[in-house]
Amino acid sequence: MEDDPTDFIKEPTVVPGQISKAPTQVDSTSENFERQVEDAVQAQALATAQPPQPSAQSAPAAAAGAAVTQFQRVQTQAAQAFRPLTNTVWSRLDRKATAVTEFTLRQYRTKNSTWVVLGIGMVFVAMILMFYGEAMSSGFESVDNDGDSHDYDGDGYPTGQEKIYGTNPWDENSHPDPELVTPDPPEKWIDEDGIDWDGDYSNSNQGFDDDGDCTGVGWVDNESFELPRNQDTNRDGINCNVRYTMNSTTNTIYRINADPYVDEDPDDEEFLKESLHRAFVLGFGKIGFAFLIGIFVPLFLATGLVRDEMERGTLHYIMGKPIARAEILAYRLLGYIALVWPYATVLILVTAIVTGFLAPSDSIFRFHDMSAWLGILLASWLMMLAYGTIFCTLGVISPRFGLWIAIAFGVWEFAMAMISLGAPNFPLTWLSVSHWGIEIINCTSVLAYPDQSYLIEIAGMNNDWGSEAALVGFYSPPSVIAGNSFASLLISIFVLVVFTVFALFIGQSSLKRKELN
Amino acid sequence: MIPDLSQVGTSETKEWAPVDEAPHIMLDHVTKTYGSVMGLNDVSIAIKGGVTGILGQNGAGKSTLFKLIVGRLQPSSGNVHLFGTNPFKNPAPYSRIGYVSESEHLYDWMTGLDFVATLARLYGYTRDEAKEKALHVLDFVGLGDVANKEIGKYSKGMRQRVKIAHALVNEPDLIILDEPLAGCDPLARTTIMNVVRELGASGKTVLVSSHILSEIERITEQIIILHNGRLLAIGNLHAIRELLDKHPHRILLRTDNPRGLGTAFLPHEDVYGVRFPNSDELVVETNNLSSVHQALPRICHESGIRVTAIENPDDNLESLLGYLVEGRS
Repeated sequence: MEDDPTDFIKEPTVVPGQISKAPTQVDSTSENFERQVEDAVQAQALATAQPPQPSAQSAPAAAAGAAVTQFQRVQTQAAQAFRPLTNTVWSRLDRKATAVTEFTLRQYRTKNSTWVVLGIGMVFVAMILMFYGEAMSSGFESVDNDGDSHDYDGDGYPTGQEKIYGTNPWDENSHPDPELVTPDPPEKWIDEDGIDWDGDYSNSNQGFDDDGDCTGVGWVDNESFELPRNQDTNRDGINCNVRYTMNSTTNTIYRINADPYVDEDPDDEEFLKESLHRAFVLGFGKIGFAFLIGIFVPLFLATGLVRDEMERGTLHYIMGKPIARAEILAYRLLGYIALVWPYATVLILVTAIVTGFLAPSDSIFRFHDMSAWLGILLASWLMMLAYGTIFCTLGVISPRFGLWIAIAFGVWEFAMAMISLGAPNFPLTWLSVSHWGIEIINCTSVLAYPDQSYLIEIAGMNNDWGSEAALVGFYSPPSVIAGNSFASLLISIFVLVVFTVFALFIGQSSLKRKELN
Repeated sequence: MIPDLSQVGTSETKEWAPVDEAPHIMLDHVTKTYGSVMGLNDVSIAIKGGVTGILGQNGAGKSTLFKLIVGRLQPSSGNVHLFGTNPFKNPAPYSRIGYVSESEHLYDWMTGLDFVATLARLYGYTRDEAKEKALHVLDFVGLGDVANKEIGKYSKGMRQRVKIAHALVNEPDLIILDEPLAGCDPLARTTIMNVVRELGASGKTVLVSSHILSEIERITEQIIILHNGRLLAIGNLHAIRELLDKHPHRILLRTDNPRGLGTAFLPHEDVYGVRFPNSDELVVETNNLSSVHQALPRICHESGIRVTAIENPDDNLESLLGYLVEGRS
């Protein structure tokens, strides 16, 4: 059969006993077919015939012939290479890519599910932003940590002021001369000793006694019994300072030991709002954008990219064209990306702008969150790409159960995301997309907030704020290469790209072997 | 643009030169099973040129045959060659074929022009080229005036024609039409049949399937009959008809005097019996259909009995298959 692939025609495959009732007539009627086949056989024989043997020629003639053939081949290749760009294979691929991408985008536009999914994402972001705006606009009552704003004896002078002048804050008859010293308003003695930290992770000697209740500077009686007897309780050999135990490589603070009454009454509202704002950026970035929107949008928009076409029986319109199946999958994903990346960009940009105006800042707009938002954008893009490719591939592999497998995969990703938040070094999480997306945000947040661990530690010292839990919960330093956020960032990006390429490869291989019934 | 490196050697990234002399379609002992169900059973054919009708009842394997040819399915055993290439593994020959599936699903949100032009761009045409070609083929199938109407608003016949238009946009050498007349109204059927005949006349190779004998008869004489996944017969439809005519056949006549008319038919040498299934029906049984048909006007005229209808109940695919498979008429 291999020698002559058409010889079966000479013995037509028919049901025995039927055509044989009148074999002459039927055979004669199939004359047209047989003639075609005979022609075809001859043509194939010609096409596969060996060229004349060079032995018939002299050796120099054969060599010259070979050289001419070689020259002609080079000429042909050169002509091919210098074809106008519009006729090259690449530009034709471009046309196909654009056609499929455009088609996919237009198809999305006509589906209600697209608008529902994207609309839910927008409403979700809008609601979270409303909560954020309310939190930022409402004031926080500052706490008088050292209690020196109180006038315990009722003489009109707050305790802090009485200590400076050496009078007894517990005796209403002991107070500065009202004709010489006007009583301070109590607010002056709230938040009067802020935290002084220069941001230098290599300098352990920090802190300054702004109100003088450790050093006695500015006091009438600097030998007052109100001043601490031991001014170096942190035992660093320096009186009235704060000793920071830090790691300058990882830019982290492990411990803060303050001498008595140093930096003991900072501006609580400033710290609370700052830590809340950062917790929002990190929390919403990791859970809201990177994970929830990053996984739900692809789940509903990418799983059916090819699967729905297979199920509806319309994929053959595209597949019946001279375009490789692997290309179709890639270009469909390109259409998906052309929709979801701008969508994520708009959502994140709007969030960044709104929070930029509402967040605590010395200027009208808070610019120094931008690198954190860029990290969130990058993580969202890569996670949407990875999840989209994975879900699309699951749809191709199992059109019937693809969505359910994708949902199960989503549960796994959710579990890994939660573990990554609490224990980023847990090895199992490295097998998840969410871990690496979150790691990207970790890396960029360190670049955006170099004093992050300082804020967490300070927030931790003031348990009454209760805000440190949120910031501690959402913040993690890079875990891939400790202390090197840039390298960790590159590795995280690389891993997500590898996940995507691997899923694409599996999807393409599966589609190439798929029968379209 | 994402070049598909894995397709090197199978997509257009490699020069592909079809062997023009080879049959456009060649199936070599092809069998296709779906689990335990036999879709196609040891079919071998070679086709090049002309219009070929694929006849078979529902489930005979027509669509399976077409899906194998266009690479939607791969055979369980045997080989399929489309322009000398395995169509399941290599999409390059698709540039020379146009395929109209039996699927009724279309992109209803697209206009006819969008649909044809978008798919035309997958042949590598520019946007303008694709639009120009799309308009041309839509005109050819008679949809020029509704090209900008949404497909969802098309009638059944228009939907079939837009599918045909999309299959013609690349000026293919081989056109495969799976049940193109199914569900169409008479006008659409006539239009589609004319289109198919024109394509055949223009030198294209056309494969068209149907389960209705008379439809195929109006399009082509060259047929392939499939039955239960097997290739039952290849040949000229008229020759097969002649073969049938020589075997027991029935002619049904409606008249108000069947007995009188039956008496008039009995002397004819090729009539071996008459029956009266109803009070107004006469069935004439013959071994030579064409001979009786030739004599029929004269007999009716001479008898003076009015005949209101003449039918050939055996002139359908079921009877043809019954004869070919079981030897009954």
